[in-house]
Amino acid sequence: MPEKLVRKVTAVIQAENLSKLYPPRTRAVEGVSFKVDEGEVFGFLGPNGAGKTTTIKMLTTLASITSGEAKVAGYDVKRESSSVRKSIGVVPQELTADDELKGIENLILSARLHHVPRSESTKKAQDLLKLFDLEEAAQRRVRTYSGGMRRRLQMAMGLVHSPKVMFLDEPTLGLDIQTRTKVWDYIRRLNKERGLTVFMTTHYLEEADGLCDRIAIIDHGVIKVSDTPSHLKEKIGGDVLTIGLSDGEDLTQFFNSVPDVSDVSREGQVYKMKIPRTERALPTIIEGVTKRGLKITEISFTKPTLDEVFLEVTGRTMREEEGVQESWIQNVNLERAT
Amino acid sequence: MFGDLAALTGRALRKWIRNPAAVLPGLFTAVFYLALFGNSFNPTSLIPSNIGGFQLTTAELEQIRVSILSQTFGGAATYISYLTAGIISLILVFNMAFGGIDLVLDRQLGFLNTLLTAPISRASIYFSGVAQNMVKAMTLALLTFLIAVVLPNGLILGRGFGVLDFLGAMGAFALLAFALSCVFTALALSVKSIDSLVAIVNFATFPLVFTSTALFPEGGFPSWLLSISNVNPITKATDAARLLMVNGILSSAQLTTFAWDGVYLLVFAVAMALLGYLAANRALSPK
Ligand SMILES: Nc1ncnc2c1ncn2[C@@H]1O[C@H](COP(=O)(O)OP(=O)(O)OP(=O)(O)O)[C@@H](O)[C@H]1O
Ligand SMILES: [Mg+2]
Repeated sequence: MPEKLVRKVTAVIQAENLSKLYPPRTRAVEGVSFKVDEGEVFGFLGPNGAGKTTTIKMLTTLASITSGEAKVAGYDVKRESSSVRKSIGVVPQELTADDELKGIENLILSARLHHVPRSESTKKAQDLLKLFDLEEAAQRRVRTYSGGMRRRLQMAMGLVHSPKVMFLDEPTLGLDIQTRTKVWDYIRRLNKERGLTVFMTTHYLEEADGLCDRIAIIDHGVIKVSDTPSHLKEKIGGDVLTIGLSDGEDLTQFFNSVPDVSDVSREGQVYKMKIPRTERALPTIIEGVTKRGLKITEISFTKPTLDEVFLEVTGRTMREEEGVQESWIQNVNLERAT
Repeated sequence: MFGDLAALTGRALRKWIRNPAAVLPGLFTAVFYLALFGNSFNPTSLIPSNIGGFQLTTAELEQIRVSILSQTFGGAATYISYLTAGIISLILVFNMAFGGIDLVLDRQLGFLNTLLTAPISRASIYFSGVAQNMVKAMTLALLTFLIAVVLPNGLILGRGFGVLDFLGAMGAFALLAFALSCVFTALALSVKSIDSLVAIVNFATFPLVFTSTALFPEGGFPSWLLSISNVNPITKATDAARLLMVNGILSSAQLTTFAWDGVYLLVFAVAMALLGYLAANRALSPK
């Protein structure tokens, strides 16, 4: 991402050893440290009860910090909480739009509470309704909205004052695949077009993978690993490349000589090997095979999924963690991911 | 601060107006109390015309009635004229007490959290709770007064009752409403569930009302009850408003009583606003 290297990189969120103890002894978050740079989409991935919401609550001044330090938009969360509140937009896990008010009224209320000048608030509200495809429903009471419409309205409410940084707690919880994909598009657009820094939580692997520049896997209040999704997957050992060749010499040795390739195995004329990034090694491999006068009869590779990363760092699959109702979504995810 | 207060209060009132189911029961209660207490339970209609074989004439009966009204019921023209002020106080107390339910719901549904992450002061959150309940309850108080006036055999106002008297009576009720709203808003912001709010409110409201002169004249109070009643703000507001409603033009002694009741209510209201604010601030700070 070259444009991100050019831009002066400053940390918008900085957490150091952040801990939360709910008396008497629930350690919801235990010493998490991380940094989110300007313009980044940073994701907290973890199962139910991992401490995702609690972390957001501490960073958004809703919950007190038991120990540790945190800065948001350059302000100390504990000591400068009102400055923090001026800089952030929050989209909570629960839906808080007022049922008895119209969509647009909810937006205007949110704008007023964030001190958006009256002259601008109507325009901003209209823009956001358009962005989130809610124009037609704007004059209807939220009571009549579907779950997906409510989520989108909720996101619009968190954005109406053009915050620097946005906290999204499970932005696609309970949405069908289609609506989720749409919500991802919104988040991407906001990030790209407005340079919005996003801190989000999710327990959908595909969401973290597809949306976040960097993720932290959190479990039982502890960050297990934190990196870009592709690095995390690379650490697992990368892609598995399967390549079938026409009859000819044994190429095991050649494959082993290609940089980064490991674990080459052969079954007849079908070879399997591990490569951190298949896209990078593939030209060398194809060139080598062709030079030796062999034809490729089949080629495929599988990317490791975050599920494997999750399994490696927590010892469980994400699916074991999910409730029964959620598991079908994971199945669909895995099918789509492979 | 005032912009935030207006925005939040406006939201609550807009919801209230849009939902007639929220207003109508209050009105129904008012009519019910007035009709029931004012007529059916009218003590002056309970005097038997035959006492131990001695038959009272209609004129004598009427004389007894008038004496009871003038001596026990502060000179009211009818029992309902005496009672109206008390019923308004009663309505204020109950509406304030249960008005907090909306605030608990705001907490439970997460709306309060969105306020707490917005750059608005905690004071505006608290005082919008106070204001919204006050507007709701005072609207009912006003309607109750109007209903009492137009009801057949209803409230007969004292001679010379004018705009100033009306404002004076409503002012006394407003001070009571404000003070109660401060207390119950702070309570509603401090509890986590509707159940605990209702439990506390049920426990508190009956003693509050029945240790005041809202429904019964203090003539029959034992001394312990009298000493509680004398410091009960419900007594002060009811007595002050009743004085105006029953008498219309006040004597200077009555005016003094009214003024002292007003001062008492004002001091009480300011004290409750401060205490309530402190409690609310505590309840709203991050846990
Ligand atoms: N107010 C509270 N009082 C006591 N314990 C709490 C409170 N809020 C959360 N917890 C506990 O803290 C832990 C972390 O909860 P949290 O809500 O942060 O999880 P989460 O990662 O957001 O989960 P989910 O995916 O279900 O939203 C859980 O064990 C939860 O029971
Ligand atoms: Mg959560």
